[in-house]
Amino acid sequence: MENAWLIPLFPLLSFLLLLLIGKRLREASAYVGILLTLASLVFSILVLFERFSEPTYMAKVNWLTIGEVHLTAGFEVNQLNALMLFIVSLVSFLVHTYSKGYMQGDERFHVFYAYLGLFTFAMLGLVISPNILQTYIFWELVGVGSFLLIGFYFYKEEAKAAAKKAFIMTRIGDVGLFIGMILLFWQTQSFEYSEIFKAVEAGSVSNTMITLTAILIFIGAIGKSGQFPLHTWLPDAMEGPTPVSALIHAATMVAAGVYLVAALFPLFLASKTALLTVAVIGGFTAIFAASIGLVQTDIKRVLAYSTVSQLGYMMLALGCGGYVAGVFHLMTHAFFKALLFLAAGSVIHAVHTQNIEEMGGLWKKLKLTAPLFLIGTLAISGVPGLSGFFSKDEILVAAWEGGHPVLFLLALIAAFMTAFYMFRLFFMVFTGDARSEQRDVNESPSVMTLPMVLLGILAVVAGYINTPWFGSFLGDWLVDGNPILGAAHIEGPAWIMIAATVVSLAGILFAYFIYGKRSIAPDWLSGKGDMLHTVVSNKYYIDEFYQMTVVAIVTGFSYFLRLIDTFLVEGIVKGVVGFVQGLGRTGAKMQSGQVQTYGAVAFLGLAVLAVIYALTGGYLR
Amino acid sequence: MSLETFQQLNWSIMTPEFIILGVIAVLVLCDLFMPKTLDRKILGWVGIAAVFAAMAATAAMVGGPVQSILHDTFRIDSFSLAFKLLLLCGGVLVLFLAVSYEPKDGVERYQAEFYYLFLAALLGAMVMTSSGDLITLYIGLELLSITSYILAGIRKFHLQSNESAMKYVINGGISTAITLFGMSYVYGLTGTTNLLEMANKLVTLANSNHVYLLTLAFLMLVVGLAFKLAAAPFHMWAPDVYQGAPTPVTAFLSVVSKIAGFVILIRILLTVFGFAATKGQGSMPILYDMQNYLAVIAAATMIIGNVVALRQTDIKRMFAYSSIAHAGYLLVALTSLTTNMFDSIWFYLLAYLLMNLGAFAIIQVITEKAGGTAIADFAGLYRRAPVLAVAMGILLISLAGFPGTAGFIGKLNIFLGAFYAEPAHYVLASIMIATTVVSYFYYFGVMTQMFFRPPADDSKLNIPFGILVVLIVAVVGSILLGIMPNIAFDFMQNNLDIIGDFFK
Repeated sequence: MENAWLIPLFPLLSFLLLLLIGKRLREASAYVGILLTLASLVFSILVLFERFSEPTYMAKVNWLTIGEVHLTAGFEVNQLNALMLFIVSLVSFLVHTYSKGYMQGDERFHVFYAYLGLFTFAMLGLVISPNILQTYIFWELVGVGSFLLIGFYFYKEEAKAAAKKAFIMTRIGDVGLFIGMILLFWQTQSFEYSEIFKAVEAGSVSNTMITLTAILIFIGAIGKSGQFPLHTWLPDAMEGPTPVSALIHAATMVAAGVYLVAALFPLFLASKTALLTVAVIGGFTAIFAASIGLVQTDIKRVLAYSTVSQLGYMMLALGCGGYVAGVFHLMTHAFFKALLFLAAGSVIHAVHTQNIEEMGGLWKKLKLTAPLFLIGTLAISGVPGLSGFFSKDEILVAAWEGGHPVLFLLALIAAFMTAFYMFRLFFMVFTGDARSEQRDVNESPSVMTLPMVLLGILAVVAGYINTPWFGSFLGDWLVDGNPILGAAHIEGPAWIMIAATVVSLAGILFAYFIYGKRSIAPDWLSGKGDMLHTVVSNKYYIDEFYQMTVVAIVTGFSYFLRLIDTFLVEGIVKGVVGFVQGLGRTGAKMQSGQVQTYGAVAFLGLAVLAVIYALTGGYLR
Repeated sequence: MSLETFQQLNWSIMTPEFIILGVIAVLVLCDLFMPKTLDRKILGWVGIAAVFAAMAATAAMVGGPVQSILHDTFRIDSFSLAFKLLLLCGGVLVLFLAVSYEPKDGVERYQAEFYYLFLAALLGAMVMTSSGDLITLYIGLELLSITSYILAGIRKFHLQSNESAMKYVINGGISTAITLFGMSYVYGLTGTTNLLEMANKLVTLANSNHVYLLTLAFLMLVVGLAFKLAAAPFHMWAPDVYQGAPTPVTAFLSVVSKIAGFVILIRILLTVFGFAATKGQGSMPILYDMQNYLAVIAAATMIIGNVVALRQTDIKRMFAYSSIAHAGYLLVALTSLTTNMFDSIWFYLLAYLLMNLGAFAIIQVITEKAGGTAIADFAGLYRRAPVLAVAMGILLISLAGFPGTAGFIGKLNIFLGAFYAEPAHYVLASIMIATTVVSYFYYFGVMTQMFFRPPADDSKLNIPFGILVVLIVAVVGSILLGIMPNIAFDFMQNNLDIIGDFFK
């Protein structure tokens, strides 16, 4: 673990190498990136296994001395960090490999790999930082990496706008984080996590201050993790290349917000208000984004809203005190969402469109991608036996046991919606007949499918390290030595698991009735048993009933929320921007070019100051 | 003064100034006797060598005792050494820009003047750092100002350059008038022009009418000197002058001249008003009493600079507003008045010097090539000259105060200072944060042009040697000080005891 600091440096090396000699290497750039991220991955795995048996390791050096203030820099390997290192380096390695196929033929191939290296470096640096200042520095660097990658296709007007939007929107959140960080420092005299927790525990920080700083820091997390109301950049960010979406907008950067809240969890635990804020924002985002996901027609946008919604889940878990549940879902989500994005990329690669209304019937043509996509879909829908089921169940239990029945209900409905829109996506893309002409639809090369297979395996099995049936290994390990983080496993009533299963199956079933029904031959179905058969024979009633009621309500609700999104949230953003620009216009108008004005303004300024002084101080005192 | 005492004076402490002065004289003579056909560029290189020599002479004095000659009018203390080094660094980089300056309707005919006027202006700024007396302060200020007016108009046949010089001279005159008026009040109340003597007399100031006058003098001095800083309410000249002046001159005005402005402001405010008690001995000094006024000026400067910069389509005007904004951040540090104030201001000026001069180096290359100063000329720079674009990108994120760069450390320092001050300046700190966010928009506007726009013309850009030097220093410095800021802070803390020396 002493060498954990090397992990982020490999991708940095890749970035620098490719910057210098990438042009000459051309497509061979991929090997540089892949090999160096593989090195990171190997080290991360070693560190992770070492951390299973050894205590937390931390190293730091004095970085900056200002007066009496000493700021340190260093790295720390605790459970959360070790786990994050593994997730980030794994997904990054797989995405590096996948991109070799996906980006083939791109003129700026080496630039893409260079940016990937920069981003991975920043993200790995973020997760091993032992103090919040260092976290903040890497946090911003991650933003730069993401800005460059989203805007990679800069000749597309939308990509350019999306890159800018992502950067500015997350910056708004970062201001909160920055202020929160400075306030914390002011109160505790330290940026270091351990020192901050000590001060909070010792009660040397007032409750108001804890709440204030926690909420300010959470604003930073809202921005990065695309939570309501700063979520609008994430769907737009889908303009970037698809591997980027898998890396940044599924597994790593957007999870940074959740990571931040988890890393500062003791601070949040000290304030009920802050926790509740986290839970409510998370719960609301979960259902809000899920409902918008219902009506999207762009394959990547569906996944984007689904990401927003799942991140909301994680926040909800943390807000309800379910530390283990949140981190657990962060991990499983990283695997299955990266899988889904990569599989979506493979689909786009094959059919050259992102509109699901133009797809269909790809099951037979994409022999490997389709089942892998199905695995991802099953996992995210929470079908029993796959990773998503276990982590989602943990979250629901945490919400219920945490005493938030309303949020629990929201989460349950969101789970239903998730299952529904994901299977809607699946059916529309892979079943039925092709709804537009598709030529030369070929399975992607193995360099793209192999990473997906690996993620597919993880999406199935990753859940088993923390289950109510086989022991909560992950939970035990995560809270080991830190009882303040909460229980390793929250025991909940058995009906929650059943309810979760039922809603997810119900969602799938509804999706099937609506979007899958035409494509599936009756004889395939009849083999499935009589009851199902009867239901299917009545499908039109249900379908029409559903169309008239549920769909109408859900669609209406969804459009309503979309309206809020476009008019209220964007409106406020636009209003602020407009105000600032208006101010700028006025200021620019004052700049008439006439020297007299300039002198007059100076005199006026002096006069105003003197008058204020005369009125407040001087003789009057 | 007899010749003997004259000779006994410790003239060696003025070595850096003498070097510059001597070289100016040599350059003037050379220019006079050199054949017309000879390229005057060589004189520029001599000037650069002179500044390096002066830098070495200044550095040799670092760590030494406080010394003064000529009845304390000229003093060497840690404050003067620290800021003189900054000025010389800025001066040498500006000269590197100047020797590479080759606009289409050139300055060939006045090229030699171009170089020694820079040196003269630098000399004025250096005298300001070492002054312990209002008279020398004022002489330094005027030497700097008057040479700057000429420099702004050195492209005689260029209309904008003329306009710029005209506006600069008129506004400069107004500012000088206000400053002098303020100084006259201070002199009238104390009967001396020596700063330390004034401080001693003012400690016992008890008459409330005198306090009132002194405070008025405070306001006048601050507003008058705001001209040099390009801070509100005396900022409006900056965009017009920056736009019209030749690029090296703009760089000089935005960096060296601004540093000099802060030097004189700090010197006067701290010595004269840092002790002048408001209500008899031991009560609150005027400077602390007036903190809120400084805060208002700082806030207005930050807001005006950053917000109006959004509307600019001209790169030099945009940088003028950006430089106004940076003056605002620096005023925040001055307002906080913490023990770290000198360190923060010095470090921020160093970071600002590097990033701003680096940016101007690139602006000079682009504008010369394009023949105009529109931001749109930066379009597609990444395609035309990737190295330049990346360098500009780094400098811009440093200007924006992005973590990992010198600009961030500088802002962080000032920010922490605002919180550490007693009482803490929350409002000012929040305004600083908010306006910093605003600044992202215009800095990233340039970034978008460079990276995400197709180039208007595909011609290659060649980078002259002088520009290359400035760029390397600026980019390496910005990153190095962002990652290892302790290099600069250690130098400061180990060698220079500014607070201890200031009032000796």
